[in-house]
Amino acid sequence: MSIILELAVYLAVGAGYWWWAQNLAFFGLVPNLVFAAALCAAILAGPVKGIAWGFFLGLYADILGTSMFGANALTYTLMAYTVYVVKRHFDLDSPFSQVVAALSLSWFCMLFYRGLGLVFSSPNPMDLRVFLAEPFLNALAVPVMFQIFYRLKRRFGVL
Amino acid sequence: MSREKDAANYAVVFFAAISVLLLLFPVSKIAHTVRIAASYSLYPSLHYGASYSHYIRNVPDNFVKLLETDQENRGLKEKVKELEVRLQSASTLEAENARLAAEMGLSRALPWTGAWARVINKTPADWYGSFFIDRGSESGIAVNDTVLGIEGGRAGLAGRIFEVYPKFSKVLLLTNSAASAVCALAPDGLEALVEGKGTWMLKLNYVPEEAALAEGVEVLTSPGGLLFPAGVLVGRVRKVYQRESFMNFITADIVPAVNVNTLKEVFVVRRNLPEELLGARQAEKK
Repeated sequence: MSIILELAVYLAVGAGYWWWAQNLAFFGLVPNLVFAAALCAAILAGPVKGIAWGFFLGLYADILGTSMFGANALTYTLMAYTVYVVKRHFDLDSPFSQVVAALSLSWFCMLFYRGLGLVFSSPNPMDLRVFLAEPFLNALAVPVMFQIFYRLKRRFGVL
Repeated sequence: MSREKDAANYAVVFFAAISVLLLLFPVSKIAHTVRIAASYSLYPSLHYGASYSHYIRNVPDNFVKLLETDQENRGLKEKVKELEVRLQSASTLEAENARLAAEMGLSRALPWTGAWARVINKTPADWYGSFFIDRGSESGIAVNDTVLGIEGGRAGLAGRIFEVYPKFSKVLLLTNSAASAVCALAPDGLEALVEGKGTWMLKLNYVPEEAALAEGVEVLTSPGGLLFPAGVLVGRVRKVYQRESFMNFITADIVPAVNVNTLKEVFVVRRNLPEELLGARQAEKK
C-alpha cells in the first residue's frame, strides 16, 4: 500500500511540475517542484529511501529534458546523500533551515549539473536568470512541499 | 546508526553508479524511445530546435516518422490558418475588381470628363453629411466639382467637392442637411428643389400643388442649376405629402440614386465653373 501511495505521490509531483511549467510560468520561471520534492523526501525519509527518491525524481527530470540522460538522477542522488549527512548535524525540520538548504542546494545542483555538462556533453551557456531566480522560488516551495510530505507521512506512512 | 550510515553509503554508490552508467553509455532503443515519447508528449516545443536530430539518433525510423508527421501536421495547420486569411482578402479583392470593372466600363459612356477616386474616410458623427476621397488638387480636383456614384449600372448624384487639399478632398453629400440641388421631374421637366435631411432620405420641396407627382418618378438634375451638370439621376419619389393648409406647394420623400452606405468609389466630374460661382473664400484665394 505504501509503495502504491509513494508511486502516486511521485507521479503527482511530476504531473504538478509539468502543469505548473505549462500554465503558471512567470517570465519563463517556475519553482523546480521535482527538486523541492527530492529535497523534502531526503529530509523526511530514511537514508536509502531518501536517496532512492532523489534518484527517481532526477530520472523523471531527465525524461522530461532532452540533454544528458542521468545527469539529474546523479545530481539529486548526491543531493539526497548530502541532506542525509547534513541533517544529522542540523535540524532541517524548521522552515528557516529548509529555506537555507533549498537555496544552497539549488545552486549546488545547478553548478553540479553544468559541471556534468562540461564532462558529458558540449558545454551550454548558463541561464543567469534561472541561476539567480530559481533557487529563491525553490526555497519558497520547499517548506510548503515539506508540510505536504510531513502530513502524508503521518497520515499514510509514506516515506 | 552505523548500519544506517552503511545503508546510505551503499545506496548513494548504487544510484550514483546507475546514473553515471546512464550518462556514459547510450541507452537502449526502447528506453530512448520511451524518453522521447514522454518528453515529446509533455514538451513538444523542445523538439523544434536545431539539435532535434541529435536526440532522436537512437529512435526507430517509424517512431521518428510519427513525430515528424505530428510536426508537419502542426505546420500545415498554421499554413491553413494563414491561407484562410488570404482567401478572405482575395474574395474582397475579387468583389472590388468586379465592381471597378463595371464602373470603368460605365465611365467610358459618361459624357463628362473627370477622375475616379476612392472613399477613404467616413466620419461616424457626420455619416450622411460628408466623407473624404483620395484625390485632391494634385489630381486636378477643384471646389464644387460634381461627385457621382455608380449604382445599378447607372451614375447618380452623390454630392459635390467642398474642400480640396493636395492629396485628398472633402465631399459634401447631397444627404447633408445643408446641401440642395435644383432638379427636374421626369417626364415634363418640372423644376423643384431637392434638399438633404441629414438622413439617408432626401426631401423634394417647392413642387406646385397642381403638379401630378407620382411615386417612382425619377428626379434628375436640372439645366437651371449651374452647380451640377444636367441630366444626372438624383433619386426617385417615394412618398408624396399633400399640401399643408398654409402652403401652396407639396413635398415628397426622395430615395437617393446613390446609397452612401455602400459607396466605395466615386467619379469626380470636372466642372471648371466660373470664379463667380466659387465660394467667397475660394475666390479670395485665387
